[in-house]
Amino acid sequence: MSAIRTFLLSLIVCCASLATPTPLNAEMGAAVGQTPLKDGQVLRGRFEQERFLVGFEAPLKTAGSFTLVAGGGLIWRAETPFAVTTVMSPAGLVQEVDGAKTMSLASARIPFMTKLYSMLSGALIGNWSDLEGTFKIARTGDAKKWELRLTPIAANDPAMPIEAIIVRGKRLVEDVVVIRSAGDRDHLRFSGQSLETVAPTSDELALLALAKQL
Amino acid sequence: MTLRRRAAIAWLAIVVAAACFLAWHFQRGLPLNTDLMALLPREGQESAAQKARDAVSQNLGRRILVLVGHPSRAQARAAASSLSDSLDATGLIEPDTASGAQAMLKLAQLYLPYRAGLLSDADRGLLEAGRGKEVAKRALGQAFGVGGTGESLIARGDPFLLLPSFLMQLPSPMPRAAWDEGLLSVSEAGKTWVLLVRSLAREPFALDVQERLNAAYSQSVATLKAAHPGVEVYRTGAVFFADAGARTALGEASTLGALELGGTILLILAVFRRLGPLLLNGLAGLIGAAMGLVSCLVLFGEVHVFALLFGTSLLGVVVDYGLHYCSTEFEPDAGTPNERLASIMPGLLLSLVTTLIGYVALTLAPLHGLLQIAIFSVFGLAAAFATVVLWFPILDSGRRTRAAGWVLRAASQPFDFWEAGRWRLMRQGLLCLGVAVALVGLARIETNDDVRGMQALAPDLVREQQAIFTATGANTSSEFVLIEGADDETALRRQEAIRPIVAELRAQGAIAGALFPADFIPSSGRQRENRRLVQRELDPLLAAHYAALGLSGARPAASPSNTEPLTLAQATDSGAFDFLRNLVLAPGVHTGLLQGLKRPDLVRDALSHVAGVRLVEPAAEISALFAKYRQRTVILIAVSAALMLIPFAFRYGGAGALWIMLPPVASIVLTPAILSLIGAPFNFFHAMALVLVLAIGVDYSVFCAESRDSSRATTMVAILLAATVTLLSFGLLVVSTAPAISSFGSGMLIGITLAFVLAPLSGRCRSPSAISSHPALDRSRQDRGQQPLPWVNAE
Repeated sequence: MSAIRTFLLSLIVCCASLATPTPLNAEMGAAVGQTPLKDGQVLRGRFEQERFLVGFEAPLKTAGSFTLVAGGGLIWRAETPFAVTTVMSPAGLVQEVDGAKTMSLASARIPFMTKLYSMLSGALIGNWSDLEGTFKIARTGDAKKWELRLTPIAANDPAMPIEAIIVRGKRLVEDVVVIRSAGDRDHLRFSGQSLETVAPTSDELALLALAKQL
Repeated sequence: MTLRRRAAIAWLAIVVAAACFLAWHFQRGLPLNTDLMALLPREGQESAAQKARDAVSQNLGRRILVLVGHPSRAQARAAASSLSDSLDATGLIEPDTASGAQAMLKLAQLYLPYRAGLLSDADRGLLEAGRGKEVAKRALGQAFGVGGTGESLIARGDPFLLLPSFLMQLPSPMPRAAWDEGLLSVSEAGKTWVLLVRSLAREPFALDVQERLNAAYSQSVATLKAAHPGVEVYRTGAVFFADAGARTALGEASTLGALELGGTILLILAVFRRLGPLLLNGLAGLIGAAMGLVSCLVLFGEVHVFALLFGTSLLGVVVDYGLHYCSTEFEPDAGTPNERLASIMPGLLLSLVTTLIGYVALTLAPLHGLLQIAIFSVFGLAAAFATVVLWFPILDSGRRTRAAGWVLRAASQPFDFWEAGRWRLMRQGLLCLGVAVALVGLARIETNDDVRGMQALAPDLVREQQAIFTATGANTSSEFVLIEGADDETALRRQEAIRPIVAELRAQGAIAGALFPADFIPSSGRQRENRRLVQRELDPLLAAHYAALGLSGARPAASPSNTEPLTLAQATDSGAFDFLRNLVLAPGVHTGLLQGLKRPDLVRDALSHVAGVRLVEPAAEISALFAKYRQRTVILIAVSAALMLIPFAFRYGGAGALWIMLPPVASIVLTPAILSLIGAPFNFFHAMALVLVLAIGVDYSVFCAESRDSSRATTMVAILLAATVTLLSFGLLVVSTAPAISSFGSGMLIGITLAFVLAPLSGRCRSPSAISSHPALDRSRQDRGQQPLPWVNAE
C-alpha cells in the first residue's frame, strides 16, 4: 500500500521539483557556467504556468512569484486566478489557498520529500548526481543560449510519470516544459529573476517556518 | 528354547527392524523440526485467537527483510538487485509481485470507480461539518499550485481529488520507505538504503530451507562487499533467527554430547577397568536412543531439535539399568549373570515403573516438543530396560573384576554419613540447614515464565533487525488486534468504530501506527454514507468548481454512477492487496497490525470494552500459559509422588514407603528453594526438571532400599555412576546459551545432586529383597515354599 501512497506523493513532489524554476535555474547555471546559489543568497522571480490536462478544453493558467532561500526552502506563490502558496522545506510541504492551509505533508510521512530536498540542494550547488541517476541529460547550445533535455533512464517504468523535461535558457532559465506520461503537460516561463544577498523578509521566514514545523 | 531366549530373539528382531527404519530415514534426511513455537502450549485459547495467532505468526515468520545501503544510490540499487537475484535463484522465495508501480496501477483501477465512497478521515470530517468548500478549495490549490496530485483525475470524474486524499492517508507497513524506481528506498544521512521485502515459499523452520537460504545470502553478501566497497547489508526474518538457533542447539548438542559420551566412557572404564561393561552399556544406550528416535518418527513423522538434544542426553539415563547390573559384579557373593540380574530385578522393575510414571507425567503437559521428549524417553528407557534384562545375561562373559578401593570408599560415603554415629551432629546441622534453606528459599521464591526471556536470540541478528526497523519503520509487532463479527461487514464496522481509539493511542505514543483491513476497504455502510456526504456537500459546488477550473459543458458529478460499494472479496481478488489476504482470516474474522507498540497495557485497556475487538498478545499469552503449566506441573509432581507411594507401600509398608519417598521429595522441595536463594526465578523448565528429579531420585531410593547391607557399597557405586552420568547428560545443560535449557539444566544439577546425597536415607527401610535377594537366600525361599524371584530360574 505504501507503494500507492508514496508513488502519488512522489508524483507531487517530483512534478513540483520539475516545475520549480529555481533549482533548475541554478542547475542550468551550473551546467552552463553560471554561479550556483550559495548559502545566504535568495533567488526571486516571477513565473507563468500553463497546465495542459487531458480532458480540459483549455490549459490551467497560473501566474505568480517564487522565492528560493538557500538552505531554507522554496516559496511558490500563485497569484492568479487564486492565491495559492506552496512552501517546501526539508521537513515537508505546506499549501495554503486564500490564506487557509489546505495541505500539509511531512517528509517523515513522505520520504520522497527528503530525497527531493537533497535533490534541490544538489541542484543549488550544481550537483547533477541525483538527477543523473534517474534521467539521461542531453545538452545543446552554448552559454548564451542553451537547452537541456532530460529523459528517464528506465524506459517503460510505470512508476515514472515523466516522459521528458525540456529546459531552455540564456543567462538564466527561461522556459521549462514537463511532459507527463498520461499526456498532460506543464509549461513554465520565468522572468524578472534576481539573485540577492539580503535576508528573507519576515513574511517569507514565517512561511518557511510553517514548512519546517511539520 | 526358553521363554527368555525367545524374548531375546524377538527383541533382536525388533531392534534390527528399528535399525533398518532409521537407516532408511537417515538416507532420506532426518526430518528435523526447529520451530521453537512447537514447544509452546496450544491449549487454553479460543480457536479464532489461536487461528489468528497462527496466521499472523506464519505470515511474519515467512517474511524476510534485507536492507542494502551505500553512499551511492546507484551502487546501493545495483547491490540490492544482485542480492535479490541471488535469493530468488534459491527457489525458496515467493515471486515478487509487490512492485510499487504494478501495485499502484492495480489499486488505481480497483478504487477509481468507487471513489465517492472512499473518503479520507479529514475529508469526511470536513463534509460532515458542512465544510465542503474547503475540500473544493484544496482541489483548486492542487490544480493551480506547484505540482499536483494527479490532476488528470479532475477530468476523469474526481473533480475534488478525493481519491488522492484517500490514498495519501492509507497506512503503510514500512512508513519510512518509499518506492524509488521499483525499489523500496530510504535516503538518510548521505546514504541510500534499499529494502528487499520477500516471503519464503516454504516453512522457515525446515533445516534445509535455512541452510540453502543462508548459504545463498552469505555468498551473495561476500560477493557484494567485494564488488561494492562500503556497502552495508542487514537482514532479519524468522528463518535467520531459526537458523542461528538451530546451529547453536546442534552445536551445543554435539559439544555436550561429546563431553557426556567422553565423560561416561572414562567413568565406566575407570570404575570397571575393562571394556565389557562399557560395551554392554554402550549397547543399551544406543538401543535406547535409537528406539526413542524411532518412536518419535513413527508417532510424529519428525523429530524436534529439542527432543534430539534431550534425547542425546537421555543416553546418560538409559545406562542406569546397565550400570546397576554391571555393578553387581563387585559383590563378593555375586553369582552367575542370571543370578546377578535376578538380585536386582525387583529394583529395576520398580525403578522402571516409577521412572515411567515421571516421564508419562510429561505427556500431560500439552506441549508438542515436551510430548516428543516424553515419548522419546519412555520408549528409550523401556528399550534400554529390555536390552539389559533380555541380552545382558547372555552377552555378559561372566568375567568379574574387583572395584577399586577409592571407588568403593567414595561411593560408600553417603551411606556412612547418614548412618555412622560420628556424623550425628553434622547430620543434625545439615537437617537444620535444609529446613532453613527450604523455609527461607520458598518464602522468597519468585516466578518468571516470560517466554521472551527464554529465547536466546543471536545478538548480531538482533542488531541487524533493529537497524532495519530504525531505517524503515517496519516495526510491526507480534501483538495484533483481533476483530470478530458475524460477517465481514460487521468486522469492518467495528474497525471503523475503534478508529478514534486508535488515533488516541497514537497520540498517547502507545503505538506508532496501525493497519486494519477497513483502512483499505471501508464497510459498505461507510461507503454509502460517504457517497451521500459527497452528493449532499460537494455536488452542489460542482458547477462553480468546474467554472473555477475553466471547464464548461456537461461534466460528471462528484458522486459516480457506480452505486455498489467496493467489497473485500473484490479487493482480495484484484491482486492489488496481497497483504489483505493475510489480514482477513475468515469471513468476519480480521486482524489489525500494530506498529511500534510501546504500551500494550494502554491498548489492551482501550479495547477491552469494545465488543468483538481485543488485543492478542502471543508472547504474553504464551508466558501466561507457561505459568499455568508450571503450576500444573508442580501439582502433577505431587500427584506422581502420591501415586508412587502405592507400589512402595505394597513392598515396603506404609512407613517404608515414606522413607523411600523422603530423599526425592526433599530434593524437589530444596531445589526451587536453592534456586530462589541464588536469585533464579522459578520457571516452567525448572518445574519440568523436577519431574525428572522425582523419577530419577526415586530410582536411587529404590536401589538403596533394595540393597543388602553387604552390597551397600556396590549399590552406591551403581548410583554414583548413574548420578554422575545423569549430571554429565542433564546437568551440563546448565551451560547452554538457551535460557530455557539452561534452566532445565540448573534444576537437574541441583536436584540430582541432592537426590544422590540423600538417597541412603531410604536404606532405613528394609525391602524383602534386601533381606533375600541372593541366590543362596532365594534357595532358602524355595525351601520355605516361597516362589523364587522372577527371572532367576527362567532358563
